[in-house]
Amino acid sequence: MQNVLNGIPLWWYLVVSSALFCIGLYGVLARKNAIALLMGVELMLNAANINLLAFWRYLAPASSGGLAFAAFVLVIAAAEAAVGLALVISVYRVTRSIDPEKLDQMKL
Amino acid sequence: MTIQQAIFILLALVILGSAIFVVTTRNLFRAALMMMLTFFGVAGLFVLLEIGLFAVAQVLIYIGAISILIIFAVMLTRGMQGMVPRNSQATAAAVVAGIIFFVLLLLFGPLRTTVDVARWPVISLIAGNASPRDVGGIQWTPAGQPIPPVPETYIADFGRALVDLNQYLLPFLLIAFLVDVVLAGAIFVARQRRPAEVIEDRQRQAEEAAEEAEAMRQAGMKPDAAALPEGAVASTADH
Repeated sequence: MQNVLNGIPLWWYLVVSSALFCIGLYGVLARKNAIALLMGVELMLNAANINLLAFWRYLAPASSGGLAFAAFVLVIAAAEAAVGLALVISVYRVTRSIDPEKLDQMKL
Repeated sequence: MTIQQAIFILLALVILGSAIFVVTTRNLFRAALMMMLTFFGVAGLFVLLEIGLFAVAQVLIYIGAISILIIFAVMLTRGMQGMVPRNSQATAAAVVAGIIFFVLLLLFGPLRTTVDVARWPVISLIAGNASPRDVGGIQWTPAGQPIPPVPETYIADFGRALVDLNQYLLPFLLIAFLVDVVLAGAIFVARQRRPAEVIEDRQRQAEEAAEEAEAMRQAGMKPDAAALPEGAVASTADH
């Protein structure tokens, strides 16, 4: 007997979230632009959220643990985006470039 | 195939297709718009999971706040949009991502037939002699049983769990503090410095360089060599 909700087995969600995670990972590793890199991180955080909420719904819907952790991930994602983009804009103002490969010195 | 399955497959195709577009396109602005589409697809998955609260939170926070923030950043760093989309390690990155995807699929392979929490190594380790079904005071869905519906009061339960000292009060307070600090820090880092401040900085740097040159000349060094850093310092302070 499978874990099935509305005719959808749990592993479908897991496959989609791992694929989304790996696409985000590729974005983080391969992009040549700091903002595109942050977009990759957002995709990875979204994949983690799908995983957390799917496991919560299928295995422990009576507790609040999965919801709490997914909410924390959401807040962390917002904080990460705010700080990351502030840093990118500040660096761009000084160096006129946001290529992560060129940002190799702490002092400008 | 039921209608829910068809909707799931459609949503999965939208999510993965737009995500691939996000990480490969040359135009950053289009990437940001496609990322909004990815977030919409994920919100759709949350609706299929019957968690309306998180579908709404996804739309409000990811689409309403984070995507708009990213679009602002893209516009503020104009001239960077037509860049080469990939760096020199792109092939290696694709290989690493592919390997991790297959490892994840291997890990999830056993979950295809059934998910029995009682057989998870970590859970049985924590449980010891107690019944693995009661680890953490959580009622795990037994293997082979139909999945119970989400309790009608799940939003109220979630809210109470967040302010319950025995559950998530401490992480909740910590994360509230973190958001406060992060927002203040982001404003501090990204603030536009007033022209007066910049001029003051430049004058101070020039004075320091002049003093340094004076000290060097007194030490008996060539004045030409000492004069060079002064110009260099002044030009880097221009930005």
